[in-house]
Amino acid sequence: MNLLQPILLGLLNIVTVLLVAPFCEGLLRKITARIQSRQGPPVRQAYFDLLKLLGKEDIESGESPIMQRVAVYLSLATVLTIACLVPMGFSAPMNGAGDAILLIYLLTLAGVCTLLAGLAAGSTYSLVGISREMMAMIALEPLFAIAVVVGAVHAGSFRLDTVLNGAVYGEGFPLSGIVMFAVLLLSFQAFVQRVPFDISEAETELMEGPLMEYSGPKLALFKYAQQAKLVIYSGLFVTLFVPWGNGLAFPLGWLVFWAKVFALVLLVTLVAATHARYRIDQAIRYFAGLLAVALVALILASYGY
Amino acid sequence: MTSRETLAQLKAKFGPAILRADLPADNRLLLYVEPFAIKPVCQYIFRDLDARYVISIGADDRPFSGQFLVAHDFAFDRDRILCSVLTHIPADKPKVDSISDVVPAANWAEREIRDMIGIEPVGHPYPKRLVLPDGWPDGSHPLRKDFAWNQVPEGFDEEREFKFDEPPEGCMVVPFGPFHPTLDEPAHFRLYVEGEMVRGCEYRGFMVHRGIEKLAESVLTYNEIPMMAERICGICGCVHNVAYAQAVESAIALRLPPRAEYIRTIMLEIERLQSHLLWVGLACHIVGFDTLFMQSWRIREPIMWIAEKISGNRKTYALCLIGGVRWDITPDIKTELRQLLDKLEAEWKPVVAAVLKDKNIQARTSGVGVADKTACKNTGLVGPVARAAGVDIDCRRDHPYAAYDRVDFDVITADGCDVWSRVVVRATEVFESIKIIRQCLDRMEPGPLQADIKDELPVGRLGLSSVEAPRGESHHFVITGENNRPRRWRVRAPTYQNLQGIPAMIKDQQLADMTISLGSIDPCFSCTDRLETIDLRSKAVKVWTQEELVKMVKARKA
Repeated sequence: MNLLQPILLGLLNIVTVLLVAPFCEGLLRKITARIQSRQGPPVRQAYFDLLKLLGKEDIESGESPIMQRVAVYLSLATVLTIACLVPMGFSAPMNGAGDAILLIYLLTLAGVCTLLAGLAAGSTYSLVGISREMMAMIALEPLFAIAVVVGAVHAGSFRLDTVLNGAVYGEGFPLSGIVMFAVLLLSFQAFVQRVPFDISEAETELMEGPLMEYSGPKLALFKYAQQAKLVIYSGLFVTLFVPWGNGLAFPLGWLVFWAKVFALVLLVTLVAATHARYRIDQAIRYFAGLLAVALVALILASYGY
Repeated sequence: MTSRETLAQLKAKFGPAILRADLPADNRLLLYVEPFAIKPVCQYIFRDLDARYVISIGADDRPFSGQFLVAHDFAFDRDRILCSVLTHIPADKPKVDSISDVVPAANWAEREIRDMIGIEPVGHPYPKRLVLPDGWPDGSHPLRKDFAWNQVPEGFDEEREFKFDEPPEGCMVVPFGPFHPTLDEPAHFRLYVEGEMVRGCEYRGFMVHRGIEKLAESVLTYNEIPMMAERICGICGCVHNVAYAQAVESAIALRLPPRAEYIRTIMLEIERLQSHLLWVGLACHIVGFDTLFMQSWRIREPIMWIAEKISGNRKTYALCLIGGVRWDITPDIKTELRQLLDKLEAEWKPVVAAVLKDKNIQARTSGVGVADKTACKNTGLVGPVARAAGVDIDCRRDHPYAAYDRVDFDVITADGCDVWSRVVVRATEVFESIKIIRQCLDRMEPGPLQADIKDELPVGRLGLSSVEAPRGESHHFVITGENNRPRRWRVRAPTYQNLQGIPAMIKDQQLADMTISLGSIDPCFSCTDRLETIDLRSKAVKVWTQEELVKMVKARKA
C-alpha cells in the first residue's frame, strides 16, 4: 500500500499536468488576443491543435531522424518525470524519491533535448538556434540551481519535499530568499521561453530554429512538452517562493495552488504581449546581471542571511 | 540655382562636349553630351554640384536614330530640378564608360542596362549579371526592339543555378530567402556569417521579373499602362500609376484640371497612410512585438475601407489616366474621410507616444542597420531611410507635383541613421499625411476630372517624373512614341536604390538584426508565384511549372 500510493500520486500529477498544460496555452492565447483587440481562438482550441497534429502523417526529415525521435520523446519524458517529483496542489508525490540535485539535473536535461532536436535538423537556421539556446542555458540554468541550493541551505537538507516547501525563506524572511525570488521572477519569462526571450526559436529570424524540421505527431509532442514546461515551472515557482496556503486541507490548498499558477501564467502573457524580442547578446547580458545577483544571494545564504 | 544657371555652369566647364541642351520646363534639364564626356559630366554633377543620383536608363533607339541611348538621371533637390544626361552610342559598338566608380549608386542600373539592352559599361567594378538568369544565353537582350515581347531565346536553360561568389574564409553561409517568414517576396541573400556576426552578403533578386516595361513598349497603349504600372507593387501601386501618368504629361506638357490634382494628392496620401501603418506593424512583428503589429493593422483597416469606397478596391485604385483621374471624391465620401482622419489621428497619437517611450523597442533598433549621410549620397538611398539620416529630401516638397505645392506640411527628419530613426520618421509622417488630406479636402473645388486631349501625343519627347512613395522617391522616365504607346518607359522604384544600401547596413552586425535592417527600408520586391491545383474527386495534386503555365496562357490566347 505504501509503495502504491506515491506511484498513484505521481501518475495523478502527470495526468494533471497533461490536462492543464493545453488549457494554460489556450488561456495565454485568448488573453493575448484580447490585448491585441482580436477575438482570439476559444480556449479549447489548444487541445484541438494538439489532437490535429497527432493525427497527421509522421514525416521523418532532417539530418538524423533517429535523433529527432529521441529528442522529442526524451523531452516529454523528462518534463513528465519532473511532474512526478514536484507537488501539484498536493504534497510532493514520491517524497524522498529524489533530491534537489535530481531536479536541477532533469531541468537541464529538458533544455538539452532542444539542443538535440536542433542538431537532428542539421540546417543552418537550427544550428544558429541551438547555439543561442546553449548560450542562454549556460547563463540561465544556474539561476534555478542557486535558488534550490539557497532553499537547501536554509532547510539544511537537499530532500526535495523539504526544499520545495518554501524553504528559500527558511524561518522568517532571510535576505537571500527574497533576492532569489526577485531574480527568478525577472528571469521567469526566459525559463518558459516566451517573448522577449524566445530567442532560440524566433520565428521571424530563425523560422522556429531547432523545431524547424518537426511536423505532425512529433511536433505535437514537442509543443506538448513546452506547454507542460510552462505549468511545471509555474508550479515550481509557486512551491519555492509563494508557498503560503498550499498546505491547507484538500480542496482549499489545491485551489489556492492552481490560482497562483494561473496568476503566473497571466503575468507571463502580459509580459509577452508588451515586449519585443531581445537579441541574444542583450539577453545574455541581462542574465549575467541576474546571475551575479544570485551568486551574492548564495553567499548571503551560506552566512545565514 | 535655376536650370538655366546650372546649364551655363556646365557649358562653361565642358563647352563643346555638350551637344545640345533642352529646357522643356523651369524644373527640367535635358543634356545631350558626347559619349566620351559622359563620365566627367556625371562626376561633376554628382560631386561638385552635389546632385542626387536617381537612375540610369538604356534604350534601343536604333529604329529611330540608328543609335543606342544611355541616360543618367540626377535630381537637384534644393533647386527643384530633375536633370537627365543623355548620350547616343553607335549601334555597332554598344559600349559606354561606366560611371559606377565615381557614382557608386549607378552599380545596379548599369548592370541592368548591360543585361536588358546589351550596352557594355566599360570599367564597371562588379560586372555580374543582375536581372537576367544565369541560364539566359549571351548576346540576347530582351529590351532591344528586335526582341519580341513573348520570345524565349534559343538555348535558354531555365534550370541553370546561380553562380555565387566564394564566401570569405572562416564564414558560414546562411541562405536568407527566397522564402523566409519575414521576407515575403522572392529575393535571395547569401549571408556570410561568423558566429552570430554577419560579415557580408551577396544578393540575387529579380527572380520573377515580369517584363512590365517590355509589355508597355510593345503591347499596351498609353492609357492601359497606368493600370499595369499600378501592378508593379501591391502596397504602393498608386505611386507608380501617378508617376507614369505624370511622366507622360510632363513629356507632352499637358496641364491637369486642379480637381484632378487634388484627388491624386489625396489618394497618394491615403496610400501612404496605409503603407506606413502596415510597415510599423510589420517592423514590430519582426522584432517579436505582435501586440503593436495587431493594433496598427486594426487602426489601418478603415483606411482600406474608404479606399474601397472611393475606387472600388482596397488596394490597386486604378486612379489615373493620362491627363486626369477616374474617380471623384463625392460630398458623402468627403464627410466620411474627414471623420476617419479624426479617428485615425486620435488612435495613432497614443500608439506613437507609447512607441517613442518604449525602451524595449529602442534597445532592438538603436544603432542597428546604420546608413549615414555619406552612404545615402553614395548609394542613392531615398525616402524615410535618407530622412532618418538627416538627409532632408522629399519629392513632395522638392519636386512638387499634383497639388503638393498648394498644401502646407513638414518634412520629418531624424539624425540617428538607424532603424529606430526610421521608425520615428514613419510613425510621425502619418500625421503629416493626415494634415495634407485635410487641406486638400478644404481647398478642392468642383471642376472637371480629365483634361481634354484632342490630338495624338507628339513623338520622341522625354518625360521625367518623381513621386514620393511611402518608401522613397519613385522615378519614371518616358520617351513618347508611335502607335499610341511609349518607346521607352523606365521605372525606378525606391527599393531599387535602398536595397543596394543593405550590404553596408548589415555588415558586422548581429544575424538577429538582419531581418529588421532589411525590414527598415520597407522592401518591396514585387512577386508572382507558381500555382498548385488539387482535383477534389481524385485527390490528385499537381504542381504547375512555369513552363506549363506559360503554355496554358498562350493556348488560351490562340
